[in-house]
Amino acid sequence: MTSNPKGPNDYDQSGMTQPGLTKTGMIDFRGVNKWFGALNVLRDITLSVEPREVVVVCGPSGSGKSTLIRCINGLETIKDGHLIVDGQRVGDPATNMTQLRTEIGFVFQSFNLYPHKTALENVTLAPIHVRKIPRAEAEQAGRVLLAKVGLADKVNAYPAQLSGGQQQRVAIARCLGMRPKIMLFDEPTSALDPEMISEVLDVMVAVAEEGMTMMVVTHEMGFARKVAQRVVFMDAGAIVESGTPDEFFSHPKTDRSRAFLSKILRH
Amino acid sequence: MLENFSFRTIVEYLPLFAQGLVTTVWLSAISFVGALVVGIVLCAMNLQRGWLFRAPAKAYIDAVRATPLLAQLYFLYFGLPRLGFVLPELVVGILALSLNSGAYIAEIIRAGILSIPRGQVEASVASGMTYTQRMRLVVLPQAFKVTIPPLLGQAIVLVKDSALLSLISVAELTRAGQLLASDRFMPAEGFLTIAAFYLLLYYGLKALAVLSGRWLGTAGARA
Repeated sequence: MTSNPKGPNDYDQSGMTQPGLTKTGMIDFRGVNKWFGALNVLRDITLSVEPREVVVVCGPSGSGKSTLIRCINGLETIKDGHLIVDGQRVGDPATNMTQLRTEIGFVFQSFNLYPHKTALENVTLAPIHVRKIPRAEAEQAGRVLLAKVGLADKVNAYPAQLSGGQQQRVAIARCLGMRPKIMLFDEPTSALDPEMISEVLDVMVAVAEEGMTMMVVTHEMGFARKVAQRVVFMDAGAIVESGTPDEFFSHPKTDRSRAFLSKILRH
Repeated sequence: MLENFSFRTIVEYLPLFAQGLVTTVWLSAISFVGALVVGIVLCAMNLQRGWLFRAPAKAYIDAVRATPLLAQLYFLYFGLPRLGFVLPELVVGILALSLNSGAYIAEIIRAGILSIPRGQVEASVASGMTYTQRMRLVVLPQAFKVTIPPLLGQAIVLVKDSALLSLISVAELTRAGQLLASDRFMPAEGFLTIAAFYLLLYYGLKALAVLSGRWLGTAGARA
């Protein structure tokens, strides 16, 4: 890993006054806070993700990783600070969130495929109705995508007829069908049987290698080492540490990250 | 015991029963369609965020569910004319059944919509769908499937409730039984016969429920 992306705190300070007007990353958190009741689930998050960068977010359960990426497409709202995605401010009334979401693919831990639609229909639904792509063209593209994730023979299968790994690959194809600029993954392999994890990770590696901007909440360290430019470690709602996968895995800087790594790498 | 039971009179009155049966079927059908419309509107109001639509819908549903159908029917039949609305019995009857059943149907549809997992909504939101798109493409088609069986159950209830319309002299099935009972003083013959006809209707609707269940079961989904 030769690239050395900027650390979380060395962004252009001039951007603080008028966020969104200066050059920013593809995803830019600036002093973001969020509370669930009295619980400060995101503490002063500052993080910039460059175009084509792959960032892996890890940390103990309840540390705010999922909440962090769910804020990016507005599935969660932020309380204060700024969050700029693809040059637009999330949470600003002037921002068309529906439009912005078409540029952001989101892969869920529980797949959330539409059970009443076939694999192909799952992939083409949003392109046809949201992107307004002609049906024939969308179906053509959908078949290509399903073939790409290794499911050319499952085009007409319903989700209930697919294994977990197959469903998650359809879910990834469903996001890619929108030709997004950003892909977010919320623990995409956590609900899978062990033997299905690699088939999903392989697809994610392929997506990363095509230059997609990605934020991935995962504990799959092999994936992180292979494609991530940066690993962000969160604990109790704050970003505790951030660095290249080599730095992070070989020389964790904080006690908390060392304790975390010792637990997940033990087996 | 059965020597007093006159099958001959029943056969004699069969045309009247047949007429009553036909009336019960079509007025129940119209009432059910009306109830669906009332239910969908109430449910849509009930699912709004603001209380402006939600409060009246909730109040209506509570009021209908808390009071007897007979009281509602009498209010419409005897009360409305006093307020200046004079309607034929049949219209009052269909109105009463639609308004009454609509309140229950609103809750059935709401339960169906709320039974759709949150992840379905999140997935459609994340793909950039508007509220209308995700209702039309994702939530309602799935809610429809879970709603059909309880809706058919409500249809069965509605058919039985339509018997009350005999009290405002609508010539439906129960009315036919009443006529036999009072003309010839044969309540056993009259009411047993209508009971048999209601049973027939019940099995018809139940068969429909089973068929629809089978059809929905094979149409993909959570097979």
